[in-house]
Amino acid sequence: MGFTRRDILRASVAGAFATGATALPTQLLAANKTVKIGMNIPMTGDYAPWGLPGLYGCEIVANNINTAGGVKIGGDTYNIEMVAYDHGYDTEKAVQGYKKLVLQDEVKMVMMLGGSTVASVLPWAQRRKMLTTTLLPSDITPESEYLVATCESHPLYNVTGVEYLKAKYPDAKTAAIVTNNDAEYGLQSAATYKAAFEVAGIDVVDVNLHGFDITDFAPIVSSVLAKNPDIFCMATSFYVTPLMEQLYHQGFKGKIISCTLDYYDEIIAKTSREFVDGTIFQFPDFDDPALNDPGVNFPNPGDFDAKYRAAHPNDWSAVSWEYPAILLNWLEGAKAAASVDPTAVLKALRSAKNPEFVFGGGQWWGSQLWGLDNAVVGRWPVVVVENGKARIQEYRSVSGWLEKNKDVLIKHMKELGLRTV
Amino acid sequence: MELVIQSIINGLIQGGFFALFAVGLVLIFGVMGVVNFAHGELVMIGAYTIWLVHAQYGFPYLPTLLLAIVLVMGIGLLMERFLFRPTRSDPLAGLICSIGVLFILQVVATLIGGDGPSKQVPPPLDGTLVVLEFIRIPYQRLFGLGVSALALLTLWYFLTRTRLGWALRAVALDREAAALQGININVISFIAIGVGAGLAGLAGGLMAPLTNINPHMGHNVIITAFIVTIVGGVGSLSGAVYAAIIYALFHTFVTVYLGGTVATICGLILMVLVLIVRPTGIMGVRVSE
Repeated sequence: MGFTRRDILRASVAGAFATGATALPTQLLAANKTVKIGMNIPMTGDYAPWGLPGLYGCEIVANNINTAGGVKIGGDTYNIEMVAYDHGYDTEKAVQGYKKLVLQDEVKMVMMLGGSTVASVLPWAQRRKMLTTTLLPSDITPESEYLVATCESHPLYNVTGVEYLKAKYPDAKTAAIVTNNDAEYGLQSAATYKAAFEVAGIDVVDVNLHGFDITDFAPIVSSVLAKNPDIFCMATSFYVTPLMEQLYHQGFKGKIISCTLDYYDEIIAKTSREFVDGTIFQFPDFDDPALNDPGVNFPNPGDFDAKYRAAHPNDWSAVSWEYPAILLNWLEGAKAAASVDPTAVLKALRSAKNPEFVFGGGQWWGSQLWGLDNAVVGRWPVVVVENGKARIQEYRSVSGWLEKNKDVLIKHMKELGLRTV
Repeated sequence: MELVIQSIINGLIQGGFFALFAVGLVLIFGVMGVVNFAHGELVMIGAYTIWLVHAQYGFPYLPTLLLAIVLVMGIGLLMERFLFRPTRSDPLAGLICSIGVLFILQVVATLIGGDGPSKQVPPPLDGTLVVLEFIRIPYQRLFGLGVSALALLTLWYFLTRTRLGWALRAVALDREAAALQGININVISFIAIGVGAGLAGLAGGLMAPLTNINPHMGHNVIITAFIVTIVGGVGSLSGAVYAAIIYALFHTFVTVYLGGTVATICGLILMVLVLIVRPTGIMGVRVSE
């Protein structure tokens, strides 16, 4: 006796029901809501290294959260979806991208790099009450209520490197600062370094500013080295590699301190490991054991570093972990607010007396300099290249330095024509 | 004094690079009447070739340098055949076509290398020549200066001592008269852009280990090339070489003594002053209609 066509149909229907019944709980579990987080960043052009690596980092963090079942906010469980827009550091595109992210994608927060692109979106962001983040707290104004800098406090953290240098090398008495002459990155950083050197009792013998059209750094380095500084300070990162190369060839023997040292392996390849060893800067690799310090608020940095470098082996930069850290800040705020609404999240973030700053010790700051306490400052690592590898030497307090020396900083900001309240 | 000598050497090295790409631009303009806005991008492609083939795939530097010259020369020849020749009667069309090529080459470079950080090429020649204990010249820069000088001498020999060179100069002086003498304008245009683009490829290849390489690096190159061309005298090859050296020394000394920002401004002021005081440039000649 064989199966009839009707028997097979009956069995198929029964099987389908049975399968559906067993799959039901899983489907229910998977029915998380989705919250979209926007990134309006440069992914092409000169500023791309400060945008794209951050998106890669956020995708790793979001994927970790989603594969673990999502994040519980209020009564709902959410998956995180990153939505990015490439503005190429163009202010007009930044406005377009911002509106697209908010109106079309309905994101609940927009992360940005900072500078003129943030200034271009601010009026609309304020009216729209959209939570926006920047890596440059100097973007904050007395009116920019919805703009926060919860991770990088560029360039305030540079003071920790100078403090370390002074403590470690007390014989270094003079410094020369080289940086590009833009008000967003270069001059802010130069003013901070000048203040930090003054506080440390180190004389600044030269502040050498240059534009973005420089193709040959030999004359600049020759000019600076003619003043015999004990310390060569690079205040921004655009041209660290050619500057380091020239320092190497022109035989500089003093101490080198830099805001960033992105792609330092390439610098070693162009100079030597011995030359780069000892360079002080501010941005750690995330496989650094010192990041297991209990004060650090970044879950499993070693795992993050490994995943990142496996997926994007040549793209690690200072921002690789910064945008993810901001995403983690937002999650804490959303959990505290029990809502993904931007106003509620901002309120929750701002009400935290000790916000979960990535390196710990965070507190809201900024009104003395920019008119609003919308930047988080806390501890920051001092990183030194040792045997060709960046390693954290210690954490120092940016907020502690500011408490004692903010007037010196304001003086140097004003000297370089920068906005302060 | 030490700083002065070091600055002269730095300026001469920079002048060698400036001369390479400015002479190419002048050659193309002189013979074809086209302002090639994509010339900076030809330099960029030369640099990218070194980064990709030498730095990424480990091919030896010197053969890669030759490859960069040939590749960029090939791009130049394609531009001549398919863009500049069909638009020869309209110089504006040629200029617009070259702007189109500029963007295309930038996108090609982005597709090949991504648009992340600037690319770096470790110098094939390591080490530094130290003279009198205070003059320090990296061997890679010395090599660049030597090759630039050799290339410019070879070009000078070609233009002044060979029949083809004479023909090329004749076309640059008066295209119609040259054609009436039996000179094939198409062939000469082909040679002019081949040589001009080849020099741009060489400049890019030599600069690659010494600078940040990115798809937009051609902007600075073309601005410098225009300044040098105007100061030297539009259409004057010898003027371009002199102007490249003068401008590089000027820029270097202003950078050293007044800073990089001031140097950029002064470079442009120099160009404006030349246009006001001597509109034909250092070596240019006034041509009556």
